[in-house]
Amino acid sequence: MGDVAGDQDVTGDQAALERLRVQRSRLADRLRPPWWYLTGIAVMYALVFGFPFASRFLGVGIWPFFVAALVVAVPLQWGWTRATGIKMGFRNLSSPGPGRLARYAVVVVTLGAIAAEHFLIDRGGLLAAAIAVAALAVAAEVALQQVLLRGIRQELRDGGGVA
Amino acid sequence: MTAKPDPLIHPITRLSICGLLAAGADWVEFAALRDAAGISDSVLSKQSRVLEDAGYVEVRKGAVGRRPRTWFRLTAAGRQAVQGHLAWLAQLEEAVTASARDGRLADPPDVLNRRG
Repeated sequence: MGDVAGDQDVTGDQAALERLRVQRSRLADRLRPPWWYLTGIAVMYALVFGFPFASRFLGVGIWPFFVAALVVAVPLQWGWTRATGIKMGFRNLSSPGPGRLARYAVVVVTLGAIAAEHFLIDRGGLLAAAIAVAALAVAAEVALQQVLLRGIRQELRDGGGVA
Repeated sequence: MTAKPDPLIHPITRLSICGLLAAGADWVEFAALRDAAGISDSVLSKQSRVLEDAGYVEVRKGAVGRRPRTWFRLTAAGRQAVQGHLAWLAQLEEAVTASARDGRLADPPDVLNRRG
């Protein structure tokens, strides 16, 4: 511990924690999504919500759509990690944190929209309504993604519960 | 978790590095850590090596094209030490704030005497 930068004492420094809060806030600010990230998320969910149409009118199974969504999601995540310089761990539904409710909402919107689309296409033949549901679901998922990212930024600002 | 000072994390630069790595991210890239901490490349390189030698930080080196990329994360031992040190700092802050509020600064709390 012999250099200038490393030896500055913080015992009596009341600003040490405050300085750390500012630095964490700076780190969290790097996680603001660029335009291409949200566009990519919209494309990915458009593929997901396009599945009921392709299934009904083209007879395409779920796997090509699943693979196509992955082909969009994986490079998107890689690019985001590379652009921000921050790699966040995977969060499932039970992971604690500010974005937990939004994670549940993502599942509910996904399942609800796909079920509604199937119903409208198969039972009622209301194609326009099904397209509207799909478009609204994509918009909702993009908005939820922003809520999730806001939650992650908040988590970083709070210091992951350390102090 | 025990609130106790860690002499290795105590210096301000290392506290910044460890505090940022403990914030919740899995891995943080060199430039992101440098910019958030507001330190130079050489200081980050030097201090991260000290933390790596102590077993507090894990370093992963890679490259994107021809550009080298270095990623950092806390080890389990590092995380435990940071949590203890930050808890100790929080206690210190709380004690001093309480003393200032009570107007008893002439008689500092015991926690101030526990230097690392």
